[in-house]
Amino acid sequence: MTRAMPLAVGASELTARPRVDGLRRLTAPTRSPWFWLALWIAAGAAGVVAQIPVLTAGGPPVPLDAVLHNLSGVSFVACGLIAWRRRPDSAVGPMLTAAGFGVMLSAILDQVDSPVAFTVSLLFGELWIALYAALILSFVTGGRLTTRIDAALVEAFVVGLFVVQLAVQLFLPDERNLLAVWPDAGIADALVKVQWSVLAVASLGVVVVTGHRWRVASRPRRRALLPSLGGSLSGVLYSANLVALIAGSPSAVLVTALNAALLTVPAALLWGLLRSRLARSGLADHFRELGSLRGVRLEAGLAEVLGDPGLTLAYRVPGEHAYLDGRGHAVALPAPGADRVVAPVDRDGRELAMLVYDASLEDDPELVGAVAAAAAIALDDARLHAESEDRLAELRASRERIVAAGDAERRRLERNLHDGAQQRLVFVALQLRMIQTRLETDPAQAKQLATSAGEELSRALEDLRELARGIHPSVLNHGLKAALDSLASRSVVPTKVSFLARERLPEPVELAAYFVACEALANVAKYAQATQASVRVSRRDGVAVIEIRDDGIGGADETVGTGLQGLADRVAALDGTLRIRSPRGTGTVVTADLPCAS
Amino acid sequence: MRVVIADDSLLVREGIASFVRGEGIDVVAEASSPDELLAAVDEHEPDVAIVDIRMPPTQTDEGIQAAYEIRRRHPDTGVVLLSQHVEVGVATQLLAEAPERLGYLLKDRVTDAADFVGSLRRVADGGTALDPEVVSGLLTDPAEDSALQSLSPREREVLELVAEGRTNRAIGERLVISQPAVQKHVSAIFNKLGLPSGEHDDRRILAVLAYLQRDI
Repeated sequence: MTRAMPLAVGASELTARPRVDGLRRLTAPTRSPWFWLALWIAAGAAGVVAQIPVLTAGGPPVPLDAVLHNLSGVSFVACGLIAWRRRPDSAVGPMLTAAGFGVMLSAILDQVDSPVAFTVSLLFGELWIALYAALILSFVTGGRLTTRIDAALVEAFVVGLFVVQLAVQLFLPDERNLLAVWPDAGIADALVKVQWSVLAVASLGVVVVTGHRWRVASRPRRRALLPSLGGSLSGVLYSANLVALIAGSPSAVLVTALNAALLTVPAALLWGLLRSRLARSGLADHFRELGSLRGVRLEAGLAEVLGDPGLTLAYRVPGEHAYLDGRGHAVALPAPGADRVVAPVDRDGRELAMLVYDASLEDDPELVGAVAAAAAIALDDARLHAESEDRLAELRASRERIVAAGDAERRRLERNLHDGAQQRLVFVALQLRMIQTRLETDPAQAKQLATSAGEELSRALEDLRELARGIHPSVLNHGLKAALDSLASRSVVPTKVSFLARERLPEPVELAAYFVACEALANVAKYAQATQASVRVSRRDGVAVIEIRDDGIGGADETVGTGLQGLADRVAALDGTLRIRSPRGTGTVVTADLPCAS
Repeated sequence: MRVVIADDSLLVREGIASFVRGEGIDVVAEASSPDELLAAVDEHEPDVAIVDIRMPPTQTDEGIQAAYEIRRRHPDTGVVLLSQHVEVGVATQLLAEAPERLGYLLKDRVTDAADFVGSLRRVADGGTALDPEVVSGLLTDPAEDSALQSLSPREREVLELVAEGRTNRAIGERLVISQPAVQKHVSAIFNKLGLPSGEHDDRRILAVLAYLQRDI
């Protein structure tokens, strides 16, 4: 099983959104405060009841071991409840809690003077040890037994503590033992020895398995195994105690040590479970750094935060199912079931990289999730940085084009003024001078000159009007529709205007739309060989659309001509888009989408 | 006096032609491009070529290039460059090499018949005609010049006319004063500006322009 945990990351938070059960913790149902209150009250009550013989004076003296034993029960339940609440994804919490109540079960039942209580206490009083063994074995996997040996060892405990115990009780001669079918002290004693042997072997098995796991584990896994290793120490004491019992020389010291160990183990397990939370609080500074790290240094930073020196950040090759490390070498993702697992680092549904890390870290999905999120932010940041560089370059180019277009426009205006109005006015000035000199000598010619001068002045004015319209079409003051109507009326190709926008558009949008229409219609006149053209303006969903269509020869190319590039820049400056469809033979359609906030 | 007129605008060309003809000047040829101009000058060797600075094909400074070519081929032919607008920088470049037989005037000056014909004659006689607008541009630029500020208003007027390339006689006519009076003013100006006196009429413009441009 490849345990992949896709971690989609939101921009503003370092929280992973889980998609697969790897992050069960975040999706585990939250229980009501009453649930926890009830359990805490039950734990408190059980603790008090179990200790009644100690608390009430006058009874027979209670040995220290019994006190320790009952206290360890309280410790189990308390730690179990904290773990349960803080890590609802892990079975460790409920198991610890159950074991704790189990520890106190016989102490409570023993205070009831009834054969039933006695029999039940005898039969179930030590069954918690099986749960405890399972806890030690499955701690790193969140309470799930993962290997056959683990399962066999737990089964051995259940057989020893329940099946053999049942057999013992069938023969145990005691008037309170309701199960004594064939009372026979000899058989019962023999069976008890069998029971002790089974339990001693199973305990040693747990110790050996845990020790072996620790020996072969990677560094992060060793850290995760530490509480188990500590817990299995109690297994050593337990089996030593059993061996002493079998040998017929019980040791009070061993029993005390065992009970003392049991008292501390739940705390160790709890510490192990919450370790990552404790770790995280110390990692804030590292996280802050991660966002600014790049390439190999980012990988090193991630490895440090996760405590896994073998961590690899495998970058996804865009468009392929291949991965490269920070140095550009190909990375093979671990096979299913390997001791390394992967977590995708993705952003907005796009996979940026894979985090390849030690399988044991899966026990702390929150930390892995946060690290993957930090990696996603760092990688996305780098990507955005590159993207914004690209956009900046495009912006710079477009700005240069706009400046160049402005310069060209100014040159054109100067040329038009020079060749048009200015020339005509010089001529008129000359004529006026001539009129002045001829007024008396040749009145007839003077009159002729005056007429000609008047005509020339009218043409100069016409030139100036045309020029002014090119600079800023004053007809736009009367709205885009009016401007387009008069544009259409001047057009060489018969042009129909349909204006479907009800309200006035923002001024820059009107101006851009007007110039798009101007340029497009000028091109229609120059190149299209069209018989008719149409201009259509509509507005929908905050976007004004102007479309200029002709029935000419088509084949216009957007990439050619500064006129269209200038238009594209003007439209882009308003965050709009300019499209040109011009298949050969079917005419040309120029469309500009111009966003306008309504 | 025989002139050739070059301007790509027929309207303006005809206007200038009929206008100077009215002043008794002989227009021997008209040209609408630099090539036609050079051909006409080669053919007629006129006293002055009246040349529009902007002509085809690029409409930038074809007239200036043609003026250099005319000067190279026919050193005795004067050139009066006409333009819709005059620039100090262009004037400086034109006059830097040799101010003789050269005019640089706004096109509008054509309409002041007496003055324009006077400019043509001055250039034909080997002198210089610089547009008053260029001169005033030169005079207003160095506003902080204490020597210029020390000139009296009348001296300033005389200085401007000198800078336009006018002779003492022309200045006297313009200001309605006697030639000795003009000479007195010129000496005073040259003295105040620290220029070598006694310069010949057609060289002194260089000294004045050099002085006016020294900080530009």
